[in-house]
Amino acid sequence: MNITRRNILKTTLAASTAVALPHLWLPGSGEAWGATLKKGEPIKVGLLFSLTGSLAVPEEDSTLVMQYAIDEINKAGGVAGVPVEPVIVDAKSDFAVYSEKAKELILRDKVIAIFGCYTSASRKAILPTVMQRNHLLYYPTCYEGAECTQNTICTGPLANQHSKDLIPFMVGNFGKKVFFVGSNYVWPKESNKNAKIWLEQAGGELLGEEYIPLGSSEFGPVLNKIRDAKPDFIFSTVVGASDIAFHKQFKQEGFKVDDMPIASLTTGEIETRAMGAEFGAGHFLSAPYFQTLDNPTNHKFVEGFLASKYGKNGVTHYNMEETYISAYVFKAGFEKAAAEVGFENVTPRSIRDHSGGLVIEDAVSPEGQVWIDKDNFNTWLKPKIGQCQADGTFKVVKAAAEQVAPDPYSIYPDLGVCTANGLKAPDGSIRKNVI
Amino acid sequence: MDLGSLINALILGVSIASIWLIAALGLTIIYGTAGVINMAHGELIMLGAYSSYMLQFYLGLPYLLCLPVSFVIVALVGLALERGLIRYLYNRPLDTLLATYGVSLVLMQGVRLIFGSDPKYLAVPEIFQSNVMIGSVSLSVFRIVVLLVTALLVLALWLLFYKTRFGVQVRAVMQDKEMAASFGINSSRIYMLTFALGAGLAGVAGALFGVLAIVLPTMGASYVVQAFLMVVVGGGSLAGSVVASGVTGELQSVFAFFTNDTFARFIIFVLIVAFLRFRPQGLFAQAGARR
Amino acid sequence: MGNLYHNKIAQWIVYVVFFAALTIIPMTVSDSFLLNQLATYGVYGMLALSISLCWGFGGILNLGQGIAFGLGAYGMAMTMQMQSQSESNPIPPFMLNNSLDHLPLLWQPFQSTAVGLVLAVAVPTLFCAAFGGIMFRARVSGPFFAIMTLAMLSAFYTIILDRQAYTGGVNGLTPPSSFVFAGVEVDPYSPTAYWVVLCLLAGATFVAKLITQSSFGLVTQAIRDDSERVRFLGYSVAGYETVIYTVSGLIAALAGCCWVMLVQYVSPAQLDVGFSLSMVIWAAIGGRHSLLGSILGAFIIQGAQSYLGDAFLATWLLILGGFFIVVVRFLPNGLASLVESGLGLFDRQRPTSSPAPDGGRPMPAE
Repeated sequence: MNITRRNILKTTLAASTAVALPHLWLPGSGEAWGATLKKGEPIKVGLLFSLTGSLAVPEEDSTLVMQYAIDEINKAGGVAGVPVEPVIVDAKSDFAVYSEKAKELILRDKVIAIFGCYTSASRKAILPTVMQRNHLLYYPTCYEGAECTQNTICTGPLANQHSKDLIPFMVGNFGKKVFFVGSNYVWPKESNKNAKIWLEQAGGELLGEEYIPLGSSEFGPVLNKIRDAKPDFIFSTVVGASDIAFHKQFKQEGFKVDDMPIASLTTGEIETRAMGAEFGAGHFLSAPYFQTLDNPTNHKFVEGFLASKYGKNGVTHYNMEETYISAYVFKAGFEKAAAEVGFENVTPRSIRDHSGGLVIEDAVSPEGQVWIDKDNFNTWLKPKIGQCQADGTFKVVKAAAEQVAPDPYSIYPDLGVCTANGLKAPDGSIRKNVI
Repeated sequence: MDLGSLINALILGVSIASIWLIAALGLTIIYGTAGVINMAHGELIMLGAYSSYMLQFYLGLPYLLCLPVSFVIVALVGLALERGLIRYLYNRPLDTLLATYGVSLVLMQGVRLIFGSDPKYLAVPEIFQSNVMIGSVSLSVFRIVVLLVTALLVLALWLLFYKTRFGVQVRAVMQDKEMAASFGINSSRIYMLTFALGAGLAGVAGALFGVLAIVLPTMGASYVVQAFLMVVVGGGSLAGSVVASGVTGELQSVFAFFTNDTFARFIIFVLIVAFLRFRPQGLFAQAGARR
Repeated sequence: MGNLYHNKIAQWIVYVVFFAALTIIPMTVSDSFLLNQLATYGVYGMLALSISLCWGFGGILNLGQGIAFGLGAYGMAMTMQMQSQSESNPIPPFMLNNSLDHLPLLWQPFQSTAVGLVLAVAVPTLFCAAFGGIMFRARVSGPFFAIMTLAMLSAFYTIILDRQAYTGGVNGLTPPSSFVFAGVEVDPYSPTAYWVVLCLLAGATFVAKLITQSSFGLVTQAIRDDSERVRFLGYSVAGYETVIYTVSGLIAALAGCCWVMLVQYVSPAQLDVGFSLSMVIWAAIGGRHSLLGSILGAFIIQGAQSYLGDAFLATWLLILGGFFIVVVRFLPNGLASLVESGLGLFDRQRPTSSPAPDGGRPMPAE
């Protein structure tokens, strides 16, 4: 018995060393995308969103709208003449599963790009994998910035774009005094730092700043503090289910929307529908897109999407539109790369390298013309301000005159500027993949 | 930070306490009587909210009528759960904890499959969407409703347990199942009825929470741990849960007033652990209760 | 002879075969995703092992194993994060966003990889020793201890969420590059990472197996079955409980380190109640009285989640929950008890006139 066991151990040990050694010195990064594209085979892209769990509410819509966009692209001849095939996975609202599924999409399915994530936490969970495999993530929603990787393209507004018009608009129309309420994590905090800058420029006054645990539905203490402070308006970065509880309790505690409207960065069509339009009516939202935007592209998008088999939830909102655009950013980037390096040689990295400065025209983009910044690969867009109506839709009350530049490090000028190759510090040194 | 705000915080504490209490009430009955740690309690709360939603959406029932009907619906679910599963596990307390966790997964996913994962909302009379001012103190009408419903339920439970024949039987089974059986009390029936009662109470809580916040398949998960802590700190008795929720609600409101909401929760969790270290049996352990 | 299932030599053979099989895998497959995935399952196997040791053999149901796992994981993530900072850039980027202009005291020890690794394992272990010691001496046990661990877990979860400048809040920590140890880069997709996890899993299983077969292990099993009697016999029940709880915490902390090495990420979600409960599910389904059974439980459940999950998508949680209910209701000792009774069938056919080979001593649970 003993002899047998020892023998087994010895053999396996010897064998394992032999196998393990060659791998020890494998580099951790580099051009790791191990596939090549062939004409005639569909181009595979990964859709990494949650279809179950607490994040399914916004993310299921993202999957649906991506499928719609891919169908639309394929019907019009595909990307560089080749159809696109989505690989759909369910991240189950679990950040560990995001990480696992990202690896699966990259290493096993060999997709050429991933469209995915809604929360910053899930993005952070998959970024190490994406960066080390030198892959490409389209992140189609708003986020805080302060990140400079060489493997992402973001089509939503950054913190520096999001509230730029909203704060002066609110100060001008309702008064100088404001109270900040947000969920307790990085995006609301970064957004509030930006909002403070606009507030100072507009001559406003910050009366208080409160953060609520994510998912909490108890707004009693915060509303008491707001009642004491008597602001002219509230600036809210509360997200998800909490946001709905916030609007409901705001009304239940006797606050009046006419005296103290909430200016939000998150409360869109989907939220007002979930809370009941009577709780949302009168409040303001800043977003690059509203379902009611009046232009031919948007009419076509809304009608086409709602009539398609993906339109079962009956709404289009800013997050879906940003996701929709990302599909066209991918198409344009891929085709540009294929034209320059040849179809067979297109890699995730080459798509990204050819995406700087891409313009998505009015005819394609429901929110109007946008383009990808050639340095930081975020999107130049026009934030708009909408006021929620009695039926839960939004009426656009102000639209930016021209596209606002994205700047992930706007409030950290000491750290440097995000360039295509990395974060360029004031001393001239460049660091790659800063997250 | 004047006195008025502090008084507001204290009054709000009462309201928070009533929310903690009504979430814990059903659990108190189930745990206090049968020693069952019901991890599916949060999902029973969620079922209460969805029952109200269904009653409103499909039958057009007025909100106030939804409360008692939700009680009945969820009580029936509880009854089925007890007959089908829990009754086989009474002498394995840790296993009931696990089995009911399995139940919670099934209920949550089942509801998601039926109703989808998008949030629903409950419509309530306009009067509930306002507030009343008493001097400088502001009270939301709906919070008063929650407080009143909770107080009514506590009173009703107290009468049920201490003034009726059923209550005597429940307490007898609680203290000594075998002895009670020798006096002709059907303990199996008592367990079944208390479980259904506890589930029904969770249903009422759900119907109320659906108005305060949001109706989602995952809404129950956030209540179950805090409800448990109330029950264990209280020692499994009705009075214990009332006191435990009262103190915790006040502490949360006051801590949140001085610091922030997240940190207030942290302090409360640590205080609960410290408290249980010195009084594992809870505030008011029932004399002679079986463990 | 008795039931082969209880035969120590047979058990060791099975264990060796299991680990030998795991050893062969990297020689036969070159799919780096599969290797990484299997290594992650190995980490979950360590967690199930730690639960089995604590709950199956010590009778202590721990619903807060995420504390030890999470603290270990944060320690490792801090170490790896500091590895990617340089002299000129000593502060992790997320701290700068939180207006910290110097490295906080809490983080300074992690500048050294060795110290960081030691802390990543030692802090959770010492926490378990202290928390367990205090609780068990107050004779907190059974469901009460389970609830206390749940409260403690929630406390850690909230404080990590709240102290964003030090922990990264809900986003957690994302070390941008692989772990480097003694000059060797441990690429999470390489066989090297797989070997590291496999060695630790095998080592932890070996130690746990020895513990359960020692006289110490027999006493803890006696405490599990009737703690009062053991106390009357003069044993320090609290002492035994603390030790087995601490060893279990140590294994979970190691698992936390491995996990971060593999996924390069940690967030408060690793201290979520649901995750700690799923560790218990692995052990319960596999068989909490069997170390190997628990490990396999983790492999089976996580494997099924990865490979059935997408096929069944919406019904996966329904299936998992239902399966779990059935196991708890009808197979309280998990799938391992099926093997036990299966082997018992052979045994019954033999005449059992002679007493059991170990002379009627209490049987180890396996």
